[in-house]
Amino acid sequence: MSRRTGRRPLAWVVALALVAALAAGLVAAGSPPEGPAAARAASAGQAVTIQRAHAGSATPALKGRLVLLTIGSDSGAPKFGRGGSMESGRADALQLVIIDAARRRGAVLSFPRDSYVPIPGHGTNKINAAMAFGGPRLLVATFERLTGLTIDYYALTSFDGLTDIVNKVGGVQVNVDMNLRDHFAGAFLDKGRQTLRGGQALAYARARKTLPGGDFDRSRHQGQLLLGGLGTYQRQVAKDPTRVMAWLAVLRDEVKTDLPFPELLRLALLATRVPPGDIRNIPVPGAAGSAGGASVVRLQPGAYSLFARLRAGKLS
Amino acid sequence: MAARTSSRLPLPLIWSAGVLAAVLLVAGCTSGRSNGGGQATTPTSGAAAPAAPDLQVELVTMAKVPPGGLSAARAARRAAPGLERFLDRYLRAAYINAAGGEAGWDGLLGLFDTPVRAAARKQLDALSLGGAAPTVTAVRPSRATAKAVVLYGAKRPEAATVRVSFDGTADTAQGSGPVHLRSVLQLLATGDSWRIAAFDSRTGSDR
Repeated sequence: MSRRTGRRPLAWVVALALVAALAAGLVAAGSPPEGPAAARAASAGQAVTIQRAHAGSATPALKGRLVLLTIGSDSGAPKFGRGGSMESGRADALQLVIIDAARRRGAVLSFPRDSYVPIPGHGTNKINAAMAFGGPRLLVATFERLTGLTIDYYALTSFDGLTDIVNKVGGVQVNVDMNLRDHFAGAFLDKGRQTLRGGQALAYARARKTLPGGDFDRSRHQGQLLLGGLGTYQRQVAKDPTRVMAWLAVLRDEVKTDLPFPELLRLALLATRVPPGDIRNIPVPGAAGSAGGASVVRLQPGAYSLFARLRAGKLS
Repeated sequence: MAARTSSRLPLPLIWSAGVLAAVLLVAGCTSGRSNGGGQATTPTSGAAAPAAPDLQVELVTMAKVPPGGLSAARAARRAAPGLERFLDRYLRAAYINAAGGEAGWDGLLGLFDTPVRAAARKQLDALSLGGAAPTVTAVRPSRATAKAVVLYGAKRPEAATVRVSFDGTADTAQGSGPVHLRSVLQLLATGDSWRIAAFDSRTGSDR
């Protein structure tokens, strides 16, 4: 076993101290001199990364479910040769739009206008007569009684309104689901995805007499138009976010609604993030019948079980 | 209907301002404002005071008006000052006043509509200095521009889409570097002010 002398550790300590001193000197030599000039040099010469790139986006996080009744009136359309006011006409297009805001999903229930239902204070009649009897409020009451759902708002337009909306937004892309040669509605369209102008959209929404499913096909087409409008809106806003204002301006000018503007804006912003594929277009089940010599649609049991599922919070 | 208007000074005022600036320059005084150069030196204890950040948002406004209402040009002119004030508040809260991280984010988050506020809180890095704020000692704006499309109602603005662009320089103890913001803000009018109802925003050193 060798004996260690006290000099060796001392030599190491001295050597380390020298190295440390040398290193400190080098660091000092490399660091900027202190004082204002040094600070200026630091701020002028050194470009530092302040913030990495970040991207983020959000639309309103709305709670709960919203139920909107969209109504197409057969009156108040002077350009189409229909006088009167929209509110006192018959409701020829009737959709219940249900949006689950939290899940960003929804459903469009298309009702045949000839649905034979109880109208509060007016016995049983075609559902489209409710608005003529008591305006949008009675129509809303009729739907609430029929479905058991609370309807939050309504949105009402006319033949002219629909035509103008579609034209003003530059057309609406719709997947036309059949070849149409309907002289009564002026609908001459080939099957397939296409952009409809205002007159074509109106014709597609009105064509009934030559369609195999009659009123059922018509109400389904109306739902397709709504969803086609949503898809068109989303594509336009994705390219140019200012299109939100353009669409709101068109809706403000062409649609009568009791939806307060802040809610309308929030919904319009939410709608940019709801995939049309996540909104189901559901024709309400019914069967052709007659009442008092008039042809009507009698809602089938499937319709009432659908309403029950909706009341339970489901969307189909 | 839509019309464009700029909130910049009208031409005669610009000419007057130009003449005044020339006179001041000759007199040995400067008052830069377009590039954030508004600097003041306070000779206290021999140290230079930090430059006072001078922010001016160059705003171009268009308006969509209802039939029978104001002309689009007039509506745009009416909406512009309020929008400019709002954007000024936003950029100050997001950058200039955020430097140091002591002001917190309540001022900024208060500019958001309630249904989008929680999302904004989670995405502050995309809307402002964000997590970099505590290390930043000052932000010097160099350029802030905005283009707005305003939906004008019967008597007042109702909503707007605004594209905002902000460039500046942030100072830290380690040096200085650029900061950028590129945002699309969807705004809801609330009485005499605005709230952000939706956003799509990018920040960072990379444009």
